[in-house]
Amino acid sequence: MYAIEAEDLSKTFRVRVKEKGMRGSIRAILRPQVEKITAVDRVSFTVEEGEMLAFIGPNGAGKSTTIKMLTGILCPDGGSVRVLGLDPVKRRKQLAYQIGTVFGQKEQLWTHLTPYDNFRFFGAIYDIPDRETEERIGELAERFALEAFINTPVRNLSLGQRIRCEIVASLIHKPGVLFLDEPTIGLDPVVKENIRGLIRQMNREYHTTILLTSHDVGDIEKLCRRIIIMNAGQIVLDDSMEHLKQHYLSGEDAESVNSPSMSLEDIIMEIYRAEGRTEKV
Amino acid sequence: MSTAVKNQVRVCLLSVKYNIMREMVNPVTFVTNILFMMLNNATILVQWFILFRLRGEIGGYTMKDVMLLWGLTASSFGLSKVLFARAFSLPELIISGKLDSYLVQPKNVCLSMLTSATSTASIGDFLYGLVLMAFSGFSMGRLVLFLLFTVTGAVIFVAFTLLLGSLSFWFVRAEMAGGQIVSGMISFMTYPDGIFQGVSRYLLYFLIPVGMAVWKPVHIMTAFSGNADNGMSVGAAGQSLQSGLAALLTVAGYAIALMSIAVFIFYRGLRRYSSSSLMEARM
Repeated sequence: MYAIEAEDLSKTFRVRVKEKGMRGSIRAILRPQVEKITAVDRVSFTVEEGEMLAFIGPNGAGKSTTIKMLTGILCPDGGSVRVLGLDPVKRRKQLAYQIGTVFGQKEQLWTHLTPYDNFRFFGAIYDIPDRETEERIGELAERFALEAFINTPVRNLSLGQRIRCEIVASLIHKPGVLFLDEPTIGLDPVVKENIRGLIRQMNREYHTTILLTSHDVGDIEKLCRRIIIMNAGQIVLDDSMEHLKQHYLSGEDAESVNSPSMSLEDIIMEIYRAEGRTEKV
Repeated sequence: MSTAVKNQVRVCLLSVKYNIMREMVNPVTFVTNILFMMLNNATILVQWFILFRLRGEIGGYTMKDVMLLWGLTASSFGLSKVLFARAFSLPELIISGKLDSYLVQPKNVCLSMLTSATSTASIGDFLYGLVLMAFSGFSMGRLVLFLLFTVTGAVIFVAFTLLLGSLSFWFVRAEMAGGQIVSGMISFMTYPDGIFQGVSRYLLYFLIPVGMAVWKPVHIMTAFSGNADNGMSVGAAGQSLQSGLAALLTVAGYAIALMSIAVFIFYRGLRRYSSSSLMEARM
């Protein structure tokens, strides 16, 4: 069974445009102009249960918009999407009980509370009885080595400790699918490796389906066996990591000039270039 | 009460509790915020004392009536900001794309958002309102009515703010006009309704809900106290109670209707929500 099914998923944003300078500002008031920007353009893919999938692309490629449509944050303009068999817009609440989200750039924890109090709050959000929440906190704190700082206010934790707590908070309700949007952003290499270990661990032990977006090639290479590359709102590549490397390093792609020492980062850059990367601001 | 409602109430109460805990991180600031808010409010009443020394009645109100009006306005506003302070910053959440965390939770987005912030200074407003009510002529009956109207007033406040804030889903910079209207509403609430006549009075009852939030409740409370003071017969008292109850139900019905419209508009707007990729923290 598929954990995620997206078919022809599309999202367009209406953005006000203004000519430069004061004259442009006045003209924008008198004759407002709106431009349509297609953030996601008929994207289709599926993700198997228990799979770890890397979802990458340059800034403005449409990755976060796609994830937000999968989690029910944004309403798609077109196409259909099912996560664990549920429509994220129509069944947002039911789906929220079964998915977890970690947005590396957006903290969900209350900074003045301790991780323990935060986990209790998240337990209440997911309607978990207090005794069960206690057991779950104990289990996760031990597995993810949080004991040393579980009673320290979040604002006093290091960034790495905070991200660990964010991940644990997203696991309190045993989600079937976990969306990780740049979970290692701003972390040093040692902490990054630590977080990757945790992600691997939860996939292995809880059979959690993981959809990961990251600009860090290390995250992708060390965690995922399948990769989807988006550019300008469309999927430009959907392949296994192994096949991608073989394909490029063996020179099967006639347009690329590849050396055996080519890294995954080089391959990704090659694909971005080939697809004519268009970065939006 | 169904389990889902119980769980939602539990999360909302926890949220309010954690918000107040956050404000209590610095106890000195917490207490001084409350005290200074009460002091600040008290200074404004001085002008009314001076005015009432010059004239015995303004717009049909005596000094005690104005104190009751001020008390109800302060308590309603205070209660709305202690429990639902986020309603007042909704446009910022919409524009900056900060509703994501509420949308990924299996709870009512509107309620979770509304209860996600508190204003401790507004505890001062709430308490100050109670003090004024006591000075305006205390009785147990009046206290019960005052508390009921504080709740309906707070609901009307939050509903109107939520409704105006939700316009930011459609219009850029709608928060400026919305903010001005809400500030205007608070100002109008502190003046006797008798000084407004004609169209302005009509607008303040039907367009900006000042009338139903405080003026009508004040009329009900003063009528209730007046009847009690005059020693009415049992039959007349029963009739008075009936008309008072009808007026109370009218205000409560209005508050519920306005909140229903506001919530409907919020959810219609939520479909247009576009989120953002800004860095942010839950402070």
